[in-house]
Amino acid sequence: MTAVLVKAMRDLRRRRLQAAVIFVTTLFAVGTGAMALMLISQPSDPYKAAFDAQKGAHLQVGFDSSIDPGTLTRTPSLIGATAFGGPYPATGIQFRSGGHKYAVTAYGRGNPNGDVEQLRISAGHWPAAGSEIAIALSYANLNHISVGDKLKVVSVPAQPVLTVVALVVDIDEVRADVGGGRAWVLGSAIAPLTVKDSSFLMMDYRFNGDPAGAQLQAATDTLRASLPPGSITNSTSYLLLRSVFNVPDQVLTGVLTAFSLLALAATAAIVANLVTGIVISSYREIGIMKAVGFTPLQVVGVFVLQILVPAAAACVIGIPAGTILSQPLLANSSSALGLAYQATYSPALDVLALVGALLIVSIAALIPALRAGLLKPAVVIANATAPRGQSGRWLRRLASRVGLPRSISLGLGDAVSRPVRALLTVIAIFVGVATMVVALGETRSFASIYGYEGHVGHVDVAVKKSPALADAEATQLFASQPETERVVAQTTANITVPGIADPVSSDIFRGDSSSLGYLVTAGRWIQAPGDVVAPRGLVQDAHLKLGDTFTGTFQGVTLKLRIVGEVYDFIAGPGGHELMLDWSTVAAVAPDLNPSGYLITLKRGSNVDAYVKRLGAAQPDLLDVQAASSGNTAFLATIGGVLFAIAGLIALIAVAGIFNTVLLSTRERVRETATLKALGMGPRQVIAMVAASAGFLALLGGLAAVPAGVALYRQLFDLLSNLGGDDTPAALYDVFGAWELIAIPLAGVAVAVAAALIPGRWAARTNVVEVLHAE
Amino acid sequence: MTELIRLTDVTKVYQGGITGALNGLSVTIEEGEFTAIMGPSGSGKSTMLNLVAGLDRPTSGDVVVGDTDLGKLGEAGLARFRRDHIGFVFQFFYLLPNLTALENVLIPAQLKGIVAPGRALELLDRLGIKDIANSYPARLSGGQQQRVAIARALINNPTMLLADEPTGALDTHTGDQVMELLGQLHRDGQTILLVTHDAKLATRHAARVLSVMDGKIVDDARLESPERAPSEMIRVRSEEASR
Repeated sequence: MTAVLVKAMRDLRRRRLQAAVIFVTTLFAVGTGAMALMLISQPSDPYKAAFDAQKGAHLQVGFDSSIDPGTLTRTPSLIGATAFGGPYPATGIQFRSGGHKYAVTAYGRGNPNGDVEQLRISAGHWPAAGSEIAIALSYANLNHISVGDKLKVVSVPAQPVLTVVALVVDIDEVRADVGGGRAWVLGSAIAPLTVKDSSFLMMDYRFNGDPAGAQLQAATDTLRASLPPGSITNSTSYLLLRSVFNVPDQVLTGVLTAFSLLALAATAAIVANLVTGIVISSYREIGIMKAVGFTPLQVVGVFVLQILVPAAAACVIGIPAGTILSQPLLANSSSALGLAYQATYSPALDVLALVGALLIVSIAALIPALRAGLLKPAVVIANATAPRGQSGRWLRRLASRVGLPRSISLGLGDAVSRPVRALLTVIAIFVGVATMVVALGETRSFASIYGYEGHVGHVDVAVKKSPALADAEATQLFASQPETERVVAQTTANITVPGIADPVSSDIFRGDSSSLGYLVTAGRWIQAPGDVVAPRGLVQDAHLKLGDTFTGTFQGVTLKLRIVGEVYDFIAGPGGHELMLDWSTVAAVAPDLNPSGYLITLKRGSNVDAYVKRLGAAQPDLLDVQAASSGNTAFLATIGGVLFAIAGLIALIAVAGIFNTVLLSTRERVRETATLKALGMGPRQVIAMVAASAGFLALLGGLAAVPAGVALYRQLFDLLSNLGGDDTPAALYDVFGAWELIAIPLAGVAVAVAAALIPGRWAARTNVVEVLHAE
Repeated sequence: MTELIRLTDVTKVYQGGITGALNGLSVTIEEGEFTAIMGPSGSGKSTMLNLVAGLDRPTSGDVVVGDTDLGKLGEAGLARFRRDHIGFVFQFFYLLPNLTALENVLIPAQLKGIVAPGRALELLDRLGIKDIANSYPARLSGGQQQRVAIARALINNPTMLLADEPTGALDTHTGDQVMELLGQLHRDGQTILLVTHDAKLATRHAARVLSVMDGKIVDDARLESPERAPSEMIRVRSEEASR
């Protein structure tokens, strides 16, 4: 064993450059892997911790405000709830602050405590007067609202001004960046803020243990059956909230897992390539080792050990680094919940990452090392060097026939002269380029989703209307603007769908809604009264087929609805429980239904900014007018940043791979290079020869990687869509320009050529006399 | 005759070397000459050849070939010089294993951007190995490989042919054949500079024999006829060398 160790360590010292390549590639791969493992396992689940600490509600149900609160206080016993909160009077309000308008749901509540849904005050104090309001922390952060800000409520004619006195974390609301927005005032202060048609009573229920979805659905059904029709206006389970909260982490985890596997694959390819090269260049040594008594297993041990040492060193640094780098992402989750983040790590995970990485590296090294163990000593001593790679003649000839310079055709032949080496190098490049394609595709897709949800390209202006402003007045204002081409009015309401526990949030459109650009993945868009479209998740969960007719309940009245299409709507949330329908479907049962907003398309060539300013000035308090946009893309920037950072690391691994291959090849071919120099090959021609070899392999890897990367990108995008209960529309896949799909592999070639320049220069500086004399 | 090569007070000290490989060596060689350089191992004869070929640079002194002062050329310039003026034949042939015989011969021409398959085939034919044009080096005998190497050296019509122990890796019979070939080339007007241990071979074919020892030329014998017997001095030196 000592002999094996001594020989391995001496070889390692001699092969510092190769050791550095192993170290760097393993470091990147294992660091990424450790990050992914931390996010996957989440040693301490911040949501669960916060949910337990704040006694989160397992079920929140909104009841029609006409229900007697006393009746509601008796409902917990009906459904077996062990604790409850409420009923809290609630209403949608709109307010103005610092020139911007906002919409939240305000709850009347005397204090932040209680048996269920305890609110955590992260700044300020609980409202003590009717003119004070507490705002949800995530909403305040997103919209830059601070304690002390004055909010002018514009949704009621009196337009009272409230002072923000607290920022509050509520475990029972969705995050603001995915549609959440809550505020609290004293119970006595809610009446002056209440808006007709947007008020309700909220009840929080808590059960023993962790109730499953079926139990919560049964509870909702019981409530619905025991109360007059239409009593339940909305309901939300903690399962939905938890999954919404976890979406960003799930996206990151999925991508990180895929990328870390790719990084490990690239590292394995590089290690195998490296060991193959070392074995090839050590023929005489292998023979001597065997001649002096090394067993085949010991020979294998020498080669594997000299790879394992730098790999283990990389793990020692990479695993803690990955763990540390994952902390901000984990802390992000905690801070969203108002929890003080405590750095977490799991020794078991670290050991798993260490063992996994070393196992992969060992296997990658073992396969070529076995070849060394099996070599016959007499043969290798006699031959001194490994047989030269003989492949690539066809390629060289082909290159010569098409008139490429001789140095280039020689380089092309060299590239594939050892097919295994060429294949392993192509794999490393393949992984690097494919990862870049995935990172680019996913980032673009996220951006396109944001643009899609903001109707960018279909609508020019988005308007939110205060309930205090009459629909007719707003419509008249739009019609009086000469640039107005088309107006689609919109409102949101809950409709009960058979088989779905919670009332389904529904978008109701008035006007030509087909012009909004919603992508239909199956069936067709709504055309007639009664037609509805929904994300695939709802269609599946309600056990519907396209063309099926079902009975929905809207404001206590039954509606005959027909599902005619599946629509893509990522912000419908997990499960895709959402309906879209035309105003005419509900007009008969709700003649006084009021739009909450308008989506306006302007005539071609109109000045959008001028239109927005003019409309905003016309009704500064009652209309919030904005140019159509992708909205807040902070989440997108985080995901994109992480994606590109990791893709960059994997690309570096690929660059290390090509560098390693070129280095091995140039060292192995030093005599041939010296001969060519003796025959008159100039330094530039030598460099061109080496660069052509690297460039060709990069081209092969890149050409294979582009379709594979696009396929992987689509898989990941589908995974993301599935989280939202959607099927991905073909149009959203289309995020790559044709030129990009050509440019990406070419960029890979350029990088490979650049990586080959260093070994190329070494080759060009080969001392002919020394090399040939040594031979 | 026109002077082709001039080495003036050339020294060459290898890194770490206590004594120089060449110590103030001066010599001129004329165009069309067949010159043999003889001497024991380590005497500096191969170093002298490498300097003339532009494969190495002197520590001091000047190496001028034709009108070209090699000391003034950079790496790229030396490569062009070799490509245009030098044909090199090595002891161990140094054919590129991945190329056929014909492709090996063509390499120097292709590096110049010349397509010369006709001339390559003509050379192979002239050297009696046209039938192995499409064979790879591994399938050729030592003699065939050296002939291919000679054809490769001649493909660009070099100003001079440098041969470093061209028979060193061959059996006697094959070595004789190779030397016959070089002799024939010389008779056709080719300037040849030959490094060899073998005094018999040298004097049989070369018209001039330079004896090198300790980095200096100790004898410069011009033979009346290539077929003449070695002079007494050459005999003595070669015996010393063999000892």
